[in-house]
Parts: sequence; structure tokens; C-alpha cells
Amino acid sequence: MSIKIIKKGLSDRIVDQGRFGFQDIGIQPSGPMDFLSAQLANVILGNDLHHPVFELHFPASIFEFQEPMYICISGANFVPVINEKSIALNTAIQVHPKDQLSFLQPLEGRSAYIAFKGKLDENKKWLDSYTSFQTTLNKEDHFSIQPAPISDGSVNSIQHDLVQQVQKTLFNEHEIRFIPGPAWNDLAPASIQELIQQSFTIDPKSNRMGFLLAGTPIHLTEAKQYVSSAVTMGTLQLLPNGQIIVLMADHQTIGGYANLGQIILVDLPRLAQLNNHSHFKLSITNVQTAHQLYRSIQSWFIH
Amino acid sequence: MVSLGMQNQRPLFQIQLLGDHAIVYKKLSALVEDIDLDLLAFNQYVKNEKIKGVKDIILAYDTLTLIYDIIQFDVNPFLVAHQILENFSLSNNDIEENEKKSIIEIPVCYDPSLGIDLKDAAIIANCSIEALIQKHTEHIYSVYCLGFLPGFAYMGDVPNKIQLPRHPKPRAKVVAGSVGIAGKQTGIYPMDSPGGWQIIGRTPIKIFDPVKLSLFKAGDRVKFNSIDLAMFHQLNNQEDVH
Repeated sequence: MSIKIIKKGLSDRIVDQGRFGFQDIGIQPSGPMDFLSAQLANVILGNDLHHPVFELHFPASIFEFQEPMYICISGANFVPVINEKSIALNTAIQVHPKDQLSFLQPLEGRSAYIAFKGKLDENKKWLDSYTSFQTTLNKEDHFSIQPAPISDGSVNSIQHDLVQQVQKTLFNEHEIRFIPGPAWNDLAPASIQELIQQSFTIDPKSNRMGFLLAGTPIHLTEAKQYVSSAVTMGTLQLLPNGQIIVLMADHQTIGGYANLGQIILVDLPRLAQLNNHSHFKLSITNVQTAHQLYRSIQSWFIH
Repeated sequence: MVSLGMQNQRPLFQIQLLGDHAIVYKKLSALVEDIDLDLLAFNQYVKNEKIKGVKDIILAYDTLTLIYDIIQFDVNPFLVAHQILENFSLSNNDIEENEKKSIIEIPVCYDPSLGIDLKDAAIIANCSIEALIQKHTEHIYSVYCLGFLPGFAYMGDVPNKIQLPRHPKPRAKVVAGSVGIAGKQTGIYPMDSPGGWQIIGRTPIKIFDPVKLSLFKAGDRVKFNSIDLAMFHQLNNQEDVH
């Protein structure tokens, strides 16, 4: 036993890159809200990019370590402290037996990630479960780590450029780009303007299933029934009351609301980290641009 | 958006890219009371092909959606989307006969103690409880898609006479195995969950298991058989043992 939860957070859980291949039977992939930060924390420790990590929301759990190990915290800044001493984000941190890790306040972002040098024990029920119901971290849960040798090269070389690029992408830009979807042409012309010109915030009722956008209501030219079809993380659904919901990591696999478009993959981590009061705008892009951006971001992680 | 005429008088599919990591094939001919056999055959074909970079293949009503990995998939998804369809049209892809014919039979106990909306449902449908059960069990339903919950199958079409509206306010908890009706659709709750469908009965059969996964898949044909409470409990106990 290496890590123990001594106080349960609001909604902390284990995530990997997502379990694909089961959406045809209604099981959502349930990957991280912010894949960039999850990958960054792993890469700083020299792990495989897609190792399982803890995803934390504020107020976060309190952890106790029972063996020495290296960890890295990325994504949201909840002011992490070990034994009440603050520690750096995006840095390999060595922890010792009996060390306690807690988080003081939600300074920036929504989802923080903890990666562990080595691999979280994959035999645990929460990683075998395809349903998302058992992945939350609860008090008294223990997690063991399959130890990995610590090579100086991977732990000590802090990849400054990579960290800066990811941080800039997440917190210094405000553009959320989407590609228009099947119901785009059903929008009232005035609503198309509203959608692109207005500034949205995220409704506090939002969660891992979806982000409700607070703003001026959007309308179709006329009410219309749609046949349900597959949706993705990032799908912009128009609810009957004129509100837009962006489907996030725990989205249902199919949807029957008007599908106005999908936010491109590279902008999802930024959206996922936006605080409730941050304003942002939606803008239109295309598949080619989205793919170029995604390839470029993924190339940051490959050396 | 492009429409493709397929060879050998094949029907038309429309291809549309959905965002930056999905492709939707939409069957153009109208859907009438059953899942389209060409769409089912195409679904089977794409699954068998194991196309590099395709992570999920989702059949729902009149569409088949492929979710792909941008890095692993071809750099020109639109071109590949057409090639996949063209290769399918050239392949021998009749759905096997047994696929068409096999019917999954589900025992359901329509007792008001389990079908908690049954009495009200009969009033809404303006018929006796027996007549409602008769209508629900005599029809063979098609699974149009799965969603909402792991293993939750949307089946249709429910006969006109017993189509029932959703509850205006969903229940906080509907028990696993509950059989419900909502409009033209009928379905079984795979696990305890909030839900707004009219509950007319319960099956003792486990329709979702974390290891065996889902009993149903899109395109399946399903028939409900009425059983009494004694049989319900007997089967329920057997399910618990396995």
C-alpha cells in the first residue's frame, strides 16, 4: 500500500486516456477533462503519456503516502502543500512515508492531476470497471504503485519549454473554437450572430457530464425534432430553453438535441479549466486547422 | 457534405465529418418502423475491417458514427470515409440469415408491485391491464441504439395504442430491470438510475454485467414474454447465483 485517501474530496477520481470501444453499448469513454495536463504530469515523471492519474476538483482529497515515491501535479492550481509546506506544480516532487498532501484554495483552473512515477495498480476494481460509477476516490481507499526505476534523466530534467507551452495554451488564451455540426443551418440567422459575438460564462451547475453555458438564449428558425445520433466530447447541444450545453468527459454516447457543432480537441482542455466567472467566446474553425493544431500539440510530447 | 450513389442499386448514404474526430454516415431513405438492414450490414463490415485509428463505431437509428484518433487515422478523413463506403459496396456483405432472424426473448413480470405505473398506464391507454400486457408482448421490437446508461437499449416501435408520455418529472430512482415505455420507445433499465419512463413491469434477467457487458446490441430483435411473480422470483434467484 503506497497511497491512502485520508479525507475524501468533492469529486476526485482515477482517469486514464479513456476507455474507447464500448460506446456502441452505451458506455462513455470517461477520460480526463483536460488531457493536456494529464499527459504533462506523466511526461514530467518519464511515464507513458497515458498512465492513469488522479483527477481532482476543489475541495480536493487529502492524501497520505506510505512509501517514498515521486509525484507530479499539473493542471489547475489548488495550492498544493505537503505537510503544510507549499510545493511546485509541473515538477517531479519526492515524497516520503507519512507525508500528507492537501490543497488549500482554487487559485486557477478546475481540474488538477496527480501522476505517480511508476504505474497505479491496474488490478484494482476501479480501473477494471467500464462503468464510471466506481472510479471516485473514497476515504480509506488505498492505491499501490508498480514501482518504476527512477532515472535521473527523466525526473530531474524539468522540461521548461513543454510546461510553458502547455500553461500558455491552458491559461493565457481564451479562444474556444468549434466546427459547425448537423443542426447549424437550422439556427435562426440572428442566433448565429448571438452565438459567435456574445461572451459566455460557465454555469455553476456544470460537471464532468457537461458544461452549461450562461449567455443570451439561442434559437432555431423553427422547433425541430432530431433523430438521436452519436455525440462526442465537445458537442454543442442546444437545449429546448435556448441554453447551450457542451458535452464533456462523462457525456452520454448519443444525443437527440440539436447538434450545433463540436469544439475541437485542442481547445477542450482550455474550456475544461475555465473558472465559472471567466468570459470566453466561441469561434468557427475547420477540420484541417483542428488537425494541424492537434498534431502540433502532440508533437510537443514526443522527443 | 456529399451523397454517394452506391453500385448494384445500393441505397444512399450521406457522409459528414462531425467535429475533428468523428465521421457520420447517414442513411438517406426514410426509416420506417425498423432498423435499416444496409446500415446494419455496414456496421458489421466496419467492425470486421478493424480500420486503423477507429476507436468507436456507434450505430443509432439512421446513422453510423466512427470515432477516430487524429494521429493514427489517415490525414484525409473525408477521402477515407468515402473509400470505406466504396469498399463496403464492393464487398459481399449480406447480413447472415440468423442475424436477421434471431429474437432475444425477455421474461417480464407485469405485476403492479413491480410495474409501478401499470395501473395508471392502463388508464392513460384507455384499456385493461391485460390488454396493455397483450399489446406489449405481442410485438417484436428492434433495438435502434444503446445509450443513456451502459446497456440501455432503445427499442421500438411501441404499438400506437400503448404509447405513453414520459413522467413530467423523472423519478429519483428506477430499479434495475424495470421495463418502461416512453412514446414510441420501450426499454429496460440496466441498473438503478433516475428515470422518467412509465414502468410497466420488471425482468429478472441481468441485461448489463461489468464482465459480460451488454445483453443487447443495436439491430437486435426483442420480444417480451409475460411471467408471474413466482417465476420472477425463481429466475431472479437463479440470476443472483450465476
